[in-house]
Amino acid sequence: MIDSRQASAALNDINDVVRRVRQSRIYHLSSLIITIWGVLVAAAYIANYTWPRQGYTIWTITNLAGLAVTIAVGVISNARSGTRSFPIRSLTTFLLIGAFGVFCSVVLAHFGLRQMIVFWALYGMLFYAIAGLWFGYAFIVIAVCTTMLTLIGYYAVGANFLLWMAAAHGGGLVLGGLWMRRI
Amino acid sequence: MADLDEIIHQPLRLRIMAALNALPHSVGLEFVKLKKLTGATDGNLGAHIETLAKAGYVAVDKAFVGRKPQTTVTATAAGRGAFARHVATLQEIIAASAGEGGKQGGVN
Repeated sequence: MIDSRQASAALNDINDVVRRVRQSRIYHLSSLIITIWGVLVAAAYIANYTWPRQGYTIWTITNLAGLAVTIAVGVISNARSGTRSFPIRSLTTFLLIGAFGVFCSVVLAHFGLRQMIVFWALYGMLFYAIAGLWFGYAFIVIAVCTTMLTLIGYYAVGANFLLWMAAAHGGGLVLGGLWMRRI
Repeated sequence: MADLDEIIHQPLRLRIMAALNALPHSVGLEFVKLKKLTGATDGNLGAHIETLAKAGYVAVDKAFVGRKPQTTVTATAAGRGAFARHVATLQEIIAASAGEGGKQGGVN
């Protein structure tokens, strides 16, 4: 028979493994969603660069497509793990974040194209950083790197800013998502 | 107080069972992922999974994904039950020790 100190150590060991498994599952699911968003926003930046007057349409379609894919991944993931519930809390969170962003960027402020692009990129990364505080450092790394590259582009890149953002924001999310999958 | 499960009690097997038990019932872990999560080596992990499989605590599924062999380990119902009992026994040991400490404190 073991003593209480050894029993306590064994329980700590179990808790440590459980924490790692949960984080691994969050990373696994998130990496897929982040990579898909990366591809979508990279395509949207390039499309916006090619057709500058169609910005609102391009970004509306991109965000709706991203939202639909995110919900689909959530539903499929829930079904695979035996949970049939619709990820309603995730959807509500996403819609609230989006609605507040629209309110700030369209109603309160009247941004130009560059400001609008930078606002949404930084606003999104703010929530990645917050997610990192709860779910793991990988989200924070992605948020910090993408934010820095976005700000560098905003202050230093001229006419090709949208192409820079396709690489920095879209590419950053794709690379970050693929890296998260390997952790 | 119930006895500790000698099969699960070994540290690496405890970590393996803890990892598998943290997943939903039908979900397993790939060998490579399990190795990373438990911090084990290939040979060590393989040997301990075999011990758990012989006891009926885990199911091992070997398949090919493309050309790569992939081994997936899943906790069985018996394994989950044994793990739950083992954790309960560990908690009983800690509770009993705390009770003894309290009694000694009362005497003094």
